Amino acid sequence: MADHSVESGAGGRSSGVSVSTVGRAPTFSWERARDGTWRVAVAEESMAPALVAGDWLLLDPTSGRWPRRGSVVVFHEPETGLLAIKRVAAGPGDRVRISAGILRLGPDEAWLLGDNRAVSVDSRRYGPVPVDALVGRAWFRYAPMSRFGPIPGRGDLRSDR
Amino acid sequence: MSPVTRWLKPATTAYAHCDVPCGIYDPHQAELAARTVARMVELIGQLPKENASEADRAKFVRCISIKEQHAEIVKHEIQVIWSDYFKPEHVERYPDLHDRTWKILKLASKNKQNIDAAAAAELEAAVKEYADIFWSTKK
Repeated sequence: MADHSVESGAGGRSSGVSVSTVGRAPTFSWERARDGTWRVAVAEESMAPALVAGDWLLLDPTSGRWPRRGSVVVFHEPETGLLAIKRVAAGPGDRVRISAGILRLGPDEAWLLGDNRAVSVDSRRYGPVPVDALVGRAWFRYAPMSRFGPIPGRGDLRSDR
Repeated sequence: MSPVTRWLKPATTAYAHCDVPCGIYDPHQAELAARTVARMVELIGQLPKENASEADRAKFVRCISIKEQHAEIVKHEIQVIWSDYFKPEHVERYPDLHDRTWKILKLASKNKQNIDAAAAAELEAAVKEYADIFWSTKK
């Protein structure tokens, strides 16, 4: 299995930037609503057991901001550009403990982790993800019927593990 | 799949990317990409050779770009099946597996560089055979 340690190179980019503008960023845009992705199918298992391959989800693509910690988001994975789904472990301005020290996230950055830490390829591999890569927040599972229902957030999530 | 299910099915897939092989492989993507390469070569051939309009030139560039992208997809998909799916017992059963893989990768590169209908057809056929081998190991 590959090494999951965080690359320290991800750190310097936007740390130390003021986060005071975050609260005023637009939360809704008609363009995003029109062009956005509203539904996705899940593949692979790094979000198990919360989400498993074959789940069909509804997204909210209208927001241009990272949702609160514990939310599940779909985004373009850095490096590959593939659509990926992970959980927000830390949001803009938060501090993340990594092997190289403490990383302060920039005003548009989030730290995204898969629930299944041992196998997940996530921010520990590719670093913080800018909000430009955000596609939408996954909020509801409409198939399979046996798992029909809203996707719970995780309030207990800590950003450093 | 019923029409209703088809209508409900999301068009996009989000990957909960993980590092361990999930055991889900499918050569279909490679076949589709090879078909796309062949189709692009066909479309390029239909464009006027002289006095091309701006629209024709734009289409030409678009076709070239899609052709090259999909040749690259063929390479990626085939490589994944080769390195992650096929096991030693498959190679025993198909001793030419490595050679086939290598040839497909070479062919894909050739298609990336050239506009060559024969090479595109060859690539499509080779990928099809590769897919047949893949499915035969699933039986």
